Amino acid sequence: MEVFLQSLLSGVLVGGNYALVGIGLTLIFGVMRVINFAHGDLLMVGMYLTFYAFSLLGIDPFLSIALTMPVMFVFGAFLQRVFINRVLDALPQNQILLTIGLGLIMSNSVMLFFTSDYKILSTSYSSGSVRLAGLSVSEPLFVSFVITAAITAALYWFLIKTNTGQAIRATAQDREAAQLMGVNVRRMGVLAFGLGAALAGAAGALISPTYYIFPQVGGAFTLKAFVVVVLGGMGSVVGATLGGVIIGTVESLAASYVSSGLKELFVYVLFLLVLLLKPSGLLGKSRL
Amino acid sequence: MASILEVSHVSKFFGGLAANSDVSFSVEEGAILGLIGPNGAGKTTLFNCITGFYPPSRGEVRFSGRRMNGLTPDRVCKLGMARTWQKVRPLAKMTVLDNVMVGALIHTNRLSVASAIAMEQLRYVGMDGRAPHLAGGLPIGERKKLEVARVLATRPRILLLDEVMGGLNPAESEEIIQLILEIKSRGITQIVIEHDMKAIMRISDRIVVLNSGEKLTEGLPREIGADERVITAYLGQAFDGH
Amino acid sequence: MRASSPRGLALVPLLALCAIAAVLVALPLTIDNPYALHVMILLFLTVVQGESWNVLGGYTGQYSVGHAAYFGLGAYVTLILLQSRQVPPWWGVWAAILLAVVVAIVIGSITFRLRGPYFVLASIAVAEIFRLVALNWGSMTSGAEGILVSDIPPLQVAGRTVTDFTSKVPFYYAGFALAVTTIVVNWGVKNSKLGYYFQAIREDQDAAHSLGIALPVYKNIALGISAFFTAWSGAFYGLYVGFIDPGTVLSVEVSVQFVLICIIGGIGTIAGPVLGALLLVPLSEALRANLLSDLLFKLGVVDEGTPTGIFLKDNLAHAHALIYGILVVLVILFMPDGVLGFARKLLARRRGQAPAAAPSAAKDSA
Repeated sequence: MEVFLQSLLSGVLVGGNYALVGIGLTLIFGVMRVINFAHGDLLMVGMYLTFYAFSLLGIDPFLSIALTMPVMFVFGAFLQRVFINRVLDALPQNQILLTIGLGLIMSNSVMLFFTSDYKILSTSYSSGSVRLAGLSVSEPLFVSFVITAAITAALYWFLIKTNTGQAIRATAQDREAAQLMGVNVRRMGVLAFGLGAALAGAAGALISPTYYIFPQVGGAFTLKAFVVVVLGGMGSVVGATLGGVIIGTVESLAASYVSSGLKELFVYVLFLLVLLLKPSGLLGKSRL
Repeated sequence: MASILEVSHVSKFFGGLAANSDVSFSVEEGAILGLIGPNGAGKTTLFNCITGFYPPSRGEVRFSGRRMNGLTPDRVCKLGMARTWQKVRPLAKMTVLDNVMVGALIHTNRLSVASAIAMEQLRYVGMDGRAPHLAGGLPIGERKKLEVARVLATRPRILLLDEVMGGLNPAESEEIIQLILEIKSRGITQIVIEHDMKAIMRISDRIVVLNSGEKLTEGLPREIGADERVITAYLGQAFDGH
Repeated sequence: MRASSPRGLALVPLLALCAIAAVLVALPLTIDNPYALHVMILLFLTVVQGESWNVLGGYTGQYSVGHAAYFGLGAYVTLILLQSRQVPPWWGVWAAILLAVVVAIVIGSITFRLRGPYFVLASIAVAEIFRLVALNWGSMTSGAEGILVSDIPPLQVAGRTVTDFTSKVPFYYAGFALAVTTIVVNWGVKNSKLGYYFQAIREDQDAAHSLGIALPVYKNIALGISAFFTAWSGAFYGLYVGFIDPGTVLSVEVSVQFVLICIIGGIGTIAGPVLGALLLVPLSEALRANLLSDLLFKLGVVDEGTPTGIFLKDNLAHAHALIYGILVVLVILFMPDGVLGFARKLLARRRGQAPAAAPSAAKDSA
């Protein structure tokens, strides 16, 4: 029983990371109907920024995130303005290919400049643990979950309470109607991508004390982010939050009860099942 | 004459919304049935139910006595019931000829045979000169004619035309009207959804009126034209703005 | 027959093709350079990859970014049969292809109800599942270690040994035959009812459905044909290179390459993948052999001794995937119809008219 509860708990905590990545992806899709295959690579960039902030400047990852997020936001906005914007009316397949290309450029540039050696960001608390309700949890995982929850809460507040946030939601719901009501939908696209990149970068920052850091790390996260988003419903931030936690839990339980090497298999199989049985996801507004 | 199509108590629900509600009518072979009603009355939904794009939630569709519920659209077409689309759907990157050949290939495997059938239909609608042109580059009037030629190439016994005159100027609409009458003379039954009242009155043998998913009434054109309820349905719609 | 011009190949392109074929057949007999043969073999392989993806992605419009699944399946089954059961590859490959086609149809039946981007995602997930299975099913696939080909048995015809596969020449001819077969089949498909139906599905699925085209059937036929040749190319790759592992034959990079070849050359055409191969193979070989950095030095653009020069020399060889990424971005932004489509537009603009379609047989035969 303890094993079950233990995996459940760490699954939920890891799920927070997945949720953060998924929320960014679903925002981008919601606002621009673009499927961003470079999302995992944005996370990777966040990881590297965090790593070098730590190894060159000595800043703790859970603090440097306050810098990483704005930097990633600007980067995302740049990507949107220069590249994504040009294919908003193209075939979805071409949009996907463009983002795949951007992802390849990102991961391979990093490989070129920083080599593909696995890097480890080791802090004093990297292997520490915290006791929660009688169960033991990795300390960095716990802290990252708390920060994730804070970021998510801030995001919800932004989307619900501020004018800009509501404009983003309006654009996601009905682009034409939003435009008719005076919303600058192009700006919303830039914002959405910037936000998405910032959230992905944040997730990267938060997991950097516990994951190997290497240029190709983004790939698995991209696919998992999609599972989260499809499970939760494309375009639904709440759905992505839920989806992330579910995926994290499934993965964790699979790792405990089946095998660590096959845990991702379960996630992808779940993905196919969702695509087949309920493609609009748990809370989807879809548009298949 | 026998009825070639029988629609009995067809309803279609989307979640809680009844897009079609207990609609029944039949169509005589060789006749033209006009299907009218304000926007949102459920006319296209009915077409989709009849041709297999949606299964009816309730009720039955019989084509020459054969039950059509649950058949896929390609089966429906192979059995002789074809439809056009409200928003015209050319196969854009293929030529005009290739478009019609796709229709013609339903009953043959040979490209040469399909090509001959296709050219015949293009001549019929007056577009044989446009054969090598890419379908995506055509103006709206020609796209509509292309869609008719393409669907005729499938050798239908009954043709469902969804607002085939939508977006056309009077000259183009007149061409379509003539085409519809010629198709009738070939013995092909037609159901025509249209908003152009004058056109519907001219071509229809009978008219069915839908409103808010239900069948309001049916009858001869002059009966429908005089029917208060039909006028109210359209006027009511105009004032509400829905 | 087409109304506007005679069907079938026009005489001049056909003669040109025959001439090219003759040159290619004679090449190994006249040139004794193993590296040149190697590049040609890679070219043939890449052409087959592109043409086979094209049937599903280019004609039918179903963009699979998971074709590594079939490539890897072809490679693994053939090599496993060879290494563990001593099944000669010219029999083993048929088992691999058959399995790949069956698997493809099963997957197709499941995933084809998904549209557009969702189908793309599913295809990626399937390929990843295959890769994870290969990585973890150690007893069958040796996991991350991969499979090394120890020995290909000599090919015997009527009691005489034709080849023992020690030189590249048999692979050259096998690759050439494979490439020619794939192109011929593609041409045959494109100029048949299948080709028309595939393209109709690509252009407008619902319209195609309403015109009597059974979508699942035809999509699966396209996938089956595509998987057939993809698996064959995987088997060929495994036998030629002599080593496979999940990272080299089942990875996302492999899947992306399949798409890239067609995107760069021109999707949905027969010449497109050939063009894509002609562009990509020399480029990646030039990178690998440091030819590109040498060129930059020779042209005086960069000085070999400077930090930039040293950096380029060390790293450009590994910049394979980076160049791929840049190419994809450039092509999508500026030439979404590939080099072929771009050239066609230029030509049409020069003639001063909107591009009217030429009869597909003639335009795509060369």
